[in-house]
Amino acid sequence: MAAEVARLAADAGSLRRAFHFLPVVIVLAIWQAAVSFGLVDRAFLPSVADIVAALWELVRSGELAANLLISIYRALAGLAIGSVLGVAIGLAMATSRPADRFFGPLVAMTYSLPKSSLIPLFILWFGIGDVTDILSVVLACLLPVIVSTYHGVKSVPAVIVWSARAMGSPHHLILWRILLPGSLLSIFTGVRIALGFCFVLTISAEMIAAKTGVGKLIFLYGENGAYAHMFGGLTAVVIVAYFADRALLAVMHYCLRWHDSVYAAHRDG
Amino acid sequence: MIPFMRRTVMAEKTKPLPRAFAAVWAGLVYSYSLLIVLAAWEIVARAELVRPLFLPTVTSVVQQFWTLLAEGEIVLPLLVSLYRAFAGLGLAVVAGVLVGLLMARSRRFRWFCDPLVSLAFPAPKIAFVPIFILWFGIDHLSKILLVAFNCVFPMIVATYHGAVAVSRTVIWSAEAMGTPERKLLYRIIFPAALPAIFSGLRVTTPVALIIAFTTEMIAGGGGVGAALMFAQRFFQTPTVFVYILIMLATGFVLDHLMLTLRAWLIPWQDEGGEA
Repeated sequence: MAAEVARLAADAGSLRRAFHFLPVVIVLAIWQAAVSFGLVDRAFLPSVADIVAALWELVRSGELAANLLISIYRALAGLAIGSVLGVAIGLAMATSRPADRFFGPLVAMTYSLPKSSLIPLFILWFGIGDVTDILSVVLACLLPVIVSTYHGVKSVPAVIVWSARAMGSPHHLILWRILLPGSLLSIFTGVRIALGFCFVLTISAEMIAAKTGVGKLIFLYGENGAYAHMFGGLTAVVIVAYFADRALLAVMHYCLRWHDSVYAAHRDG
Repeated sequence: MIPFMRRTVMAEKTKPLPRAFAAVWAGLVYSYSLLIVLAAWEIVARAELVRPLFLPTVTSVVQQFWTLLAEGEIVLPLLVSLYRAFAGLGLAVVAGVLVGLLMARSRRFRWFCDPLVSLAFPAPKIAFVPIFILWFGIDHLSKILLVAFNCVFPMIVATYHGAVAVSRTVIWSAEAMGTPERKLLYRIIFPAALPAIFSGLRVTTPVALIIAFTTEMIAGGGGVGAALMFAQRFFQTPTVFVYILIMLATGFVLDHLMLTLRAWLIPWQDEGGEA
């Protein structure tokens, strides 16, 4: 009986999820119809079926996997380095006045700099390749994480820190057991912004100058007029970015399962 | 914080210094880390620890700035880039606010748009550069529309969240007094969502700049981004630095303008604490 109910509930859930994504299907159907009936020129907008075929061809030849993996490696390596550095600097700024004085103006000045403008400079310094790409991703991911960590730590109630100190907790324990968990929600918000940036920066860097990567792949097919393949590469990027975002959300929900606000605040994010 | 400790220290200190001097001094003290970075840069470049091709001196960058300014190589590209960024941003704001408000008010519209927005929101839309070039050419239009395409989703999300958060009692009382739906939108929900819309605008203004600059770097066609790439290709490193610093300054000034504008337009809501 209980199993039956659970199965029915699961069915209803998957049905609801399918219904939720119905609009995407509708848009794709309209797109396909518009191209099939010749309302839009095929040269400007390949049909959905053509794109799927091209994507399948890219997958089968291994061309997509090779380039996509390189891009994902660059993006995630940059994100990881940038996030770790960002949390460290944000924590330091929020807990030590000299660090705040030192990094504060630097962060304020560079926060609004479009990080992609540094790509030409990095090309000059490090040549074309992984170092340039990862470094620009690191810089782009660093700042949102610093700012959100800083605000997160600052918003931890001082009473908690005081009582920990009164009970004799050493400084590193206060950092590790109180300030870091207390600002985790805010840190994750920053990392989620950085996740968006890391793909943008990787792809821009690859489009500006690279030998490999999915950005280069899209750009090359675009320049050669193989638009179905270009859309195929693009579709792969959109899918990867979507699932990376979902995966980060899942990790965040897992890490913050003790937090009351996480369910309410991020239910529809 | 113990409130009385600060006041006693401050009271005596400011008196002997003249005010303007104190302000300049405070500015220098505040930005000491920037000055350290600049000084280190100048020393490293002067001592030629790295080749001047890689790192020109600060002074040569400043000189190059004046030369470029005199040649009109700064104002014109900057205006082109700003035009593209703001035209795109304007389109995105209008469309985003409309869609966001409608999503908040109509269940069916929300059902239709929600999956599309959640799919498009995290997508790295810069990858659409070749497609936009294919559809809209290499000049202004493709860049403006790409900026709009990048900015519209954060605007939709911000407006939607602002409009959904409007207190239900307020809406109910308006409805009870017979306010028609359209009037409800622009008399109650829109003003109430305005702070959220502004937060969205503060997020999307730098995005607009970034996308305008980056598409110019990728696709060319004038503007600061194209000028930067051009200088890099010919290894004119001082010029590269000048354009990077111009982008930095533009972003900085715009962010502060946004904050001022916000304080002026929505004086009842301050974004406490944010720089």
